Amino acid sequence: MYPALAVALIVASSFTLLVSQEWKITDNYSIKFDGGDPSGTFSGLKSTINFDPNDLAASKFDATIDVSTINTGNGMKNTHAKSEKWFDVTKYPTIQFTSTSISKAATGYEAKGMLTMHGVQKEVIIPFTFDNNVFKGTLSVNRLDYNVNTAEPNHGASTFKVDIEVPVTK
Amino acid sequence: MFKKIFLHALTAAVLAALAGYIYSRIYYFATEVDFSSVLNGARILGFSILFCMLAAIVNYLSLKIFRKRGEIIYNFILSITSFALVMVPISISLPLNVKSPELFPGLGVPMVFFPALAWYTIRPLFSQLLPFSEP
Repeated sequence: MYPALAVALIVASSFTLLVSQEWKITDNYSIKFDGGDPSGTFSGLKSTINFDPNDLAASKFDATIDVSTINTGNGMKNTHAKSEKWFDVTKYPTIQFTSTSISKAATGYEAKGMLTMHGVQKEVIIPFTFDNNVFKGTLSVNRLDYNVNTAEPNHGASTFKVDIEVPVTK
Repeated sequence: MFKKIFLHALTAAVLAALAGYIYSRIYYFATEVDFSSVLNGARILGFSILFCMLAAIVNYLSLKIFRKRGEIIYNFILSITSFALVMVPISISLPLNVKSPELFPGLGVPMVFFPALAWYTIRPLFSQLLPFSEP
């Protein structure tokens, strides 16, 4: 009986290792946004990444960005971006993305999920690739869709291209 | 006349660059934020020389054109230009790898006044030698 139990435990434990494809992000990730003026980066990324190319149904992304880490390269713009008029960091300190499904695409994959920013939640699709333990994704975000300074739609860019590059390790 | 103005400008540029470099070191020790990739000794010297040489040309032309009032007009131009340059370190976007860009105006804003300050400081040494400025 005990040998059978041992074998069962080994099989069960190996199964948990197989289904657990959790990746840890490394420090040299980058989240860049480009709207011409302004452009910049966010640096405060925390993420739970469960990704298995062979089991996309069980894969899931859960990412949070600390909005106060925004850097446009200009102190005055950084202060304005964090203010109540724009991101309102005090009230909405994070930007969140939680995937609801991940599917194979023509060139890589697509993560469909909910993007929450400035208190507004919208469904987005982020096309991404995964090569050499690096996730690379791009999406376009219109700040007006998230009620970010809707009073001044023409003040700076309204649509931003966001490039995400996240190297990961096991 | 331009030779003396040129020497005045060159001396002012060296003094302004020296003051700027010393200030940048003090600022670094005070804040521990390194802006040397944006504003190092060579760039401070370059800015000081450029500013003072342009000032020398404006000074020469104002003295040539306006004679006795040239010095007054030039002083206004120098002061207003220095003040207007305050907007440069405030509005400039630094490379994204530079930390704490909000501290950059504290370094850059005082520096834009150093060439004018140096110019006025050594002005008495050169003013007596200028024929157009004499009563």
